[in-house]
Amino acid sequence: MIELIPFINILILIIFSFTIIIIKKDKIVKFMSLISNLAVFILSIFLLIQVLDNGTLLLNLGKSSSLLGIQFYVGPMEAVLSVVFTFVMLMILWFSYSSIENEISKSRISFFYILINLLLASLLGVIYSNDLFNSYVFIEVSTLSACGLIILKDKKENIKATIKYLIMSTIGSGLVLMAIAYVYSITGHLNISSINEVIISSYQNHNNAVLIILGLFTVGLGIKSAVFPLHSWLPDAHSSAPTPASAALSALVIKVYVFMLIKVLFRMFSYEIINDFIIMDIILLLGSMGMIFGSIMAIFQKELKRMVAYSSVAQMGYIVFGIGLGTVSGTAIAVYHIIGHAVTKSSLFLISGLFIEKTSSKKIEDLKGIGKEMPITLGLFTIGAFSMVGIPILPGFISKWYLSLTCIEVGRVPLILIILASSLLNVLYYFPIIINGYFGNENLEGKIYKSKKIELKRLMPVFLLVIAMILIGAFSSRLIDLF
Amino acid sequence: MEFIIENYYEVGAVILFGVGFVTLMLHSNLIKKIIGINIMDTAIFLFFISKGYILGKEAPIVTELSKTADNYINPVPSALMLTGIVVAVTTTAFALGLTIKLYKHYNTVDLEEILKIREES
Repeated sequence: MIELIPFINILILIIFSFTIIIIKKDKIVKFMSLISNLAVFILSIFLLIQVLDNGTLLLNLGKSSSLLGIQFYVGPMEAVLSVVFTFVMLMILWFSYSSIENEISKSRISFFYILINLLLASLLGVIYSNDLFNSYVFIEVSTLSACGLIILKDKKENIKATIKYLIMSTIGSGLVLMAIAYVYSITGHLNISSINEVIISSYQNHNNAVLIILGLFTVGLGIKSAVFPLHSWLPDAHSSAPTPASAALSALVIKVYVFMLIKVLFRMFSYEIINDFIIMDIILLLGSMGMIFGSIMAIFQKELKRMVAYSSVAQMGYIVFGIGLGTVSGTAIAVYHIIGHAVTKSSLFLISGLFIEKTSSKKIEDLKGIGKEMPITLGLFTIGAFSMVGIPILPGFISKWYLSLTCIEVGRVPLILIILASSLLNVLYYFPIIINGYFGNENLEGKIYKSKKIELKRLMPVFLLVIAMILIGAFSSRLIDLF
Repeated sequence: MEFIIENYYEVGAVILFGVGFVTLMLHSNLIKKIIGINIMDTAIFLFFISKGYILGKEAPIVTELSKTADNYINPVPSALMLTGIVVAVTTTAFALGLTIKLYKHYNTVDLEEILKIREES
């Protein structure tokens, strides 16, 4: 029974999302989505315990051989990721119960929960699946449900952002499908483990084809995960979506595609094959560029949510940078950064949603003196920003620290300068909000202490996310050892 | 030249892919962009299916039980592409629906004009 959990997780979410369609009452809809997500979260914890005790879990669906059926592969990385993703989604849902009415019209509230369930199901599918074509189908489902979440708000910008996102990600998935066609034509398999066996023995005969496959996967998944030069859809899409949706999009959706890239590069090919090709240097270059330019563009933003969205581009740079180092420890840090950033970015987006709701302005300059009006909320924002900048113990610091260590390990010491420069740039756009919020006499003039206070009940999910963030930072060495 | 004639399916697929990509990139009309996406998808389907085709073999539909598996082409790519077509149709339908919404808001489906409208406001 316990080895069926990955399958049951996806099944629960999809069944509940299609049951919600026929329910009219919003209260029941919210309750059902809560129940299904809670169940999936608890099952994921069981799955993690199972994987930690008994090692990697392989689940064959349909046929008992991996040759014909679809296979799920759950190693420690996948198990931890699924726990973190379901936890973040649960917190986002909890947050949405009190705030979703403010942002989208009443007739569309049940759609939000349908799409969130469908989105989580497809994200978990991409994480678990060990079959290339199955992953492709899950990727498409997640893209369409993410588009649906953006358009829920039904404003001009949302429609434009959605069309941009849809067109860009259709190109991305087209390239991924083309890459799958190439892989199938040179190996005759779709199962990632079987492909690996064939390709290790015969890749030297297909040098060009392997290079094309690597390029197509990198660009295709890179578009979808907003790696630097291909990120143009992200700021519009993530800043115009309803707050809980943009938290989910920025924290979870773009991460999954990068995780798929990790699977393709290191599990389908292997570290030895990959390092023979130029593609790793290109990935490293894209990551470094993303770290620098994503932060630079964030500095010039005038809207809070846009700034946080551009910060996502920079943080994707760190993940891609870790992959590009091409070592086991680099990948482990990339996965660690996926986890740390998922928790941090979702809390930052939820808090910016609260700021926008209370000040009824999207602009950063209207946040002056907010620290006197909402001290606790800005405090939570500060902890998240500290993690982004890299203050010790918090996850952002730990991934930067280990990335630098790995740079020294592979003998690329100058790259540490890029990490440092990116951290300093992060300071430049996060700290003004905090400093202008708490300090400065002209900022605090005329503001009343705790006048825009938010009830503890609404702030609870953000609290839990921040606590999870600190825990992830505190137990980082154990987590990284798992991968 | 011989290489092209021998692999004409693949060459045709790549040319089609190029046509679709250029249509997508160069036109600012949304409908044409969506058509471009469709041409790209079709090119990929052609490429994938040609990978499973074996010259002189039949489509894998069993009518006579006496025939063995050697008489049929590889059915896996065709089956995969059925799913691929479903995905492409869904995306197209969604994109066209969005285009209608965009037209209602902006009274045009031309992306450049929409950008202009945004700058003016």
